[in-house]
Amino acid sequence: MDVVWTWAAVGALVLVTSIGGLLWRRRQGRVVSDRAVHRVSAGDLTVDSASPALLGTDVTLVQFSTEFCGQCPATRRLLSGLANDEPHSAIRHIDIDLTHRPDLATKYRVLQTPTTLVLDGEGRVRARIGGPPRRPELVDLLERIQKENHDRAVSR
Amino acid sequence: MTVQSADESLSPQVPKDGIDPRGPRFGAAITATLLLFVILLAMPGASRPPVEPWERATQPAFLLLTGIVVLFSWGAAAGVARHPYGVLFGRVIRPRLAPPAEREDPRPPRFAQLIGLIVTGLGLVLALAGVPFALVTGAALAFVAAFLNSVFGLCIGCQLYLLLVRSRVLT
Repeated sequence: MDVVWTWAAVGALVLVTSIGGLLWRRRQGRVVSDRAVHRVSAGDLTVDSASPALLGTDVTLVQFSTEFCGQCPATRRLLSGLANDEPHSAIRHIDIDLTHRPDLATKYRVLQTPTTLVLDGEGRVRARIGGPPRRPELVDLLERIQKENHDRAVSR
Repeated sequence: MTVQSADESLSPQVPKDGIDPRGPRFGAAITATLLLFVILLAMPGASRPPVEPWERATQPAFLLLTGIVVLFSWGAAAGVARHPYGVLFGRVIRPRLAPPAEREDPRPPRFAQLIGLIVTGLGLVLALAGVPFALVTGAALAFVAAFLNSVFGLCIGCQLYLLLVRSRVLT
C-alpha cells in the first residue's frame, strides 16, 4: 500500500510541477493588453536629468532590465530594432535599469525582467509584456496603434 | 555610430566570463532526478520517523539528501561553473553543442544554489530532529525548483536574486 501511495505522490508532484511550468511558459513574452488606463510621462521615465527620456510620437517601448538579467540583451536588440532613436521618431525604445530605480519597479509592479510596457503617443500604457517579447504579437500591436494614430490624423 | 555608443552606455555590464545558461539547467536535471529518488526512498514510513537519532541519520533517503546538500554547498561556495556538474557539462556536454546565443551572469544561479542549500539543509535538520515528512517536504520543494529550471528554464532562485538586489537587500 505504501508503495502505491509513494508512486502516486511522486507522479502527482511531477504532473503539477509540469502544469505550472507550462502555464508559466505560455504567458512568457505574451503581449497582454492593459485595460486600466495608466498614463506615463517622459518625466516618469527619466533616470538622468541630463538626458531626459523622450517618448515616441506613436509608440514608446519601455523596457525594464536589471544588471544580471540573462534575457535582457536579446530583448534590447529586438526592441531597438523595432524602434528608431532619432528625436521625434514614431517608435522609441527606452531601457531602464531597475537596479538604479527600484521605485519604478514598485510603481509599475515589475516582478520579472525583462518587462516591457507599450505606451501609445499619449503615454497611455496599452500593453505589458513579461519576459522576452514574442515579435509577431508585438509587431501586430505596433501596427494597430500606428493605424489608429494615422486614422485620427486623417479624420482631423 | 552614435546610436551604437548610446546603446553601449545603456547596456548593463555583463561580464565577459559569463556562463553558458545551459550549464545550470543540465545540473538541475541531475539534481531533480536525485531529489525524486530521495522522495521515493523517504515516503514509506515518512509519517513515523525512527525513534533513535542515529537511525534517522542513516536512512538511505537521509544519506542521499546529505549528498545533495553537500553539492548545493559546493555550488553556493564556488559557483555553478566549478560545481562538479558544471565541470562535467564544460568537459563533456558543452563541446558537443553549438555555442550559446547568450551568456549569463553567474551570480543569480549561484544564489539559486544557496536557496537550494537552505531548503534541503532545513529538511535535513528537521528530519534529524524527528519531524515527520521533513525529508519528503524538503526534497519536494527543491525538486519543484530544479525541475522548473531544467525543463522550462525558469530559475526561481535567480528571480529571487534579482528581486533582492533590486530592493537593495543584497548588493
